[in-house]
Amino acid sequence: MLEGFGPILRKDLRLELRTGESTVALVSLSVLILVVMVLAFGPGGARRAEVAAGALWIALIFAGTMGATRALLAERETGCIRGLLLSPVEPATIYAAKLAVAMIFMAEAGAAVLIVLVLFFNLDFGAALLRLVPVFLLGIAGLAALCTLLATVSGRVRAGAMLLPVMVVPLFAPALIAGSKASAAVLAGASLASVATWLKLLAAFDVLFVAAGYLLFEHVIIED
Amino acid sequence: MNHLGYLGAAYAIIFILIAFYVIVIGRRQARLEREVRRLESALRNKEPAPTAEGDAEGVSGRI
Amino acid sequence: MKSPMSIGLAAASCLSMLAALFMVFAYVPTEAEQGIVQRIFYFHLPCAWVAFLSFGIVAVAGALYLWLGHKIWDDLSYAAAELGMLFCTLVLVTGSIWAKPIWGVWWTWDSRLTTTFILWLLYGAYLLLRAFADDTDEVARFAAVLGIAGVLDIPIIIVSVRLWRTIHPAVLLTRQGEHGLEDPRMVATLLVSLAAFTVLFVWLLWLRLGTLRLRARLAKLRKDLALLEIAGAHR
Repeated sequence: MLEGFGPILRKDLRLELRTGESTVALVSLSVLILVVMVLAFGPGGARRAEVAAGALWIALIFAGTMGATRALLAERETGCIRGLLLSPVEPATIYAAKLAVAMIFMAEAGAAVLIVLVLFFNLDFGAALLRLVPVFLLGIAGLAALCTLLATVSGRVRAGAMLLPVMVVPLFAPALIAGSKASAAVLAGASLASVATWLKLLAAFDVLFVAAGYLLFEHVIIED
Repeated sequence: MNHLGYLGAAYAIIFILIAFYVIVIGRRQARLEREVRRLESALRNKEPAPTAEGDAEGVSGRI
Repeated sequence: MKSPMSIGLAAASCLSMLAALFMVFAYVPTEAEQGIVQRIFYFHLPCAWVAFLSFGIVAVAGALYLWLGHKIWDDLSYAAAELGMLFCTLVLVTGSIWAKPIWGVWWTWDSRLTTTFILWLLYGAYLLLRAFADDTDEVARFAAVLGIAGVLDIPIIIVSVRLWRTIHPAVLLTRQGEHGLEDPRMVATLLVSLAAFTVLFVWLLWLRLGTLRLRARLAKLRKDLALLEIAGAHR
């Protein structure tokens, strides 16, 4: 069922290792968004966990929508989509591989953002950050699922790059609520058990949209 | 604005927006119908034999 | 060129709407706590019902289009999206007008209003996609996928917004009249109003679908005409 997943994933990662374009672009964009937020809001005060959590998710969403587009657009530029579609690999498997690539890029960006957050907000490198990791991973899984599914749309429509966040943000809203609430709580010192409801919501979101993406992707992947 | 004012405003907006939509659609419908009649007569004039009636179903895959 | 169906629907719609108006303004008693402003509710809730129903139609019609390929499903999806946007806007506007005298603010992040607002954004995304893209089969499929993703999301949105709200109970008022309709006359009025809006929705959907079908017919006629021109030029 998932034949071809490995090769596609390896191909994309190898491409990325060679040039590092996407990583550099994503990391710089997300850090930039973070800097803008810190300058706009100021890092002080007792509410810093909430602001930090919010900043993290804002940076992720906008950098993330850009990142997923790059994962697919690379193939568009070289006309490679036809090749992928002609191969015996199922479209759904292409989706799974692209999803994995998108998650990896988002994780990279997220890690960079987290480091900067710790520095700017004077958070502690400690247990709170570790507890943030599962929240973060659950969140980007859902974001990657949505972005990968809809990135094809942005590639083929006028003003597509602007349209992608317009489509992704309302769809991602519940996960954003859950993710930022859980992140804020965890950064303020709460245990993972106390945010279990939010985590379950995120998990449900992820399952739903990865499955939906898996089934619907064949309808949107179109050769040029 | 007292409470009656708010009530009136709410209901007024509902009817205004719906009426507006109906009018816009109605005018678009009239315009499209005129255009369809024009093209149909143009088609009849070009062909001596009557063309097969356009399929009103509109199968998918239009240009 | 009005078909009997559209005349029938228009008549039914006007009659049921008149009945609803009568009941709202002449029949139902004034609610004790909120006064006459509460009557907005009898049209506000049906608008929300139509907005959500319409989104369901957008998604189901979209799915049918992906599955069966016949353009009429896509037309239905698009028509439902436009109408849904209209009624969703009405929900937000009437909700805001209702909130001002009762709570003193034009907007509040009440869980129902927030959910409706996100629905409004989803409709906006769908219509923007359609507006920016050409009218091709491909775009129709994209829109269908968007619609399906949206409808799948709605239950999760409702749950998450409700959870979100319980952490900020500051403005957690339930507007009397949403549940706890004590007087049976209130229930009756609400039901009549719901019926009236459903009929109105069906009528408007029929109208809009008519123009979309006409547009499809027009495109076909233009194509036929163009082919004839080409054939004529070759003689």
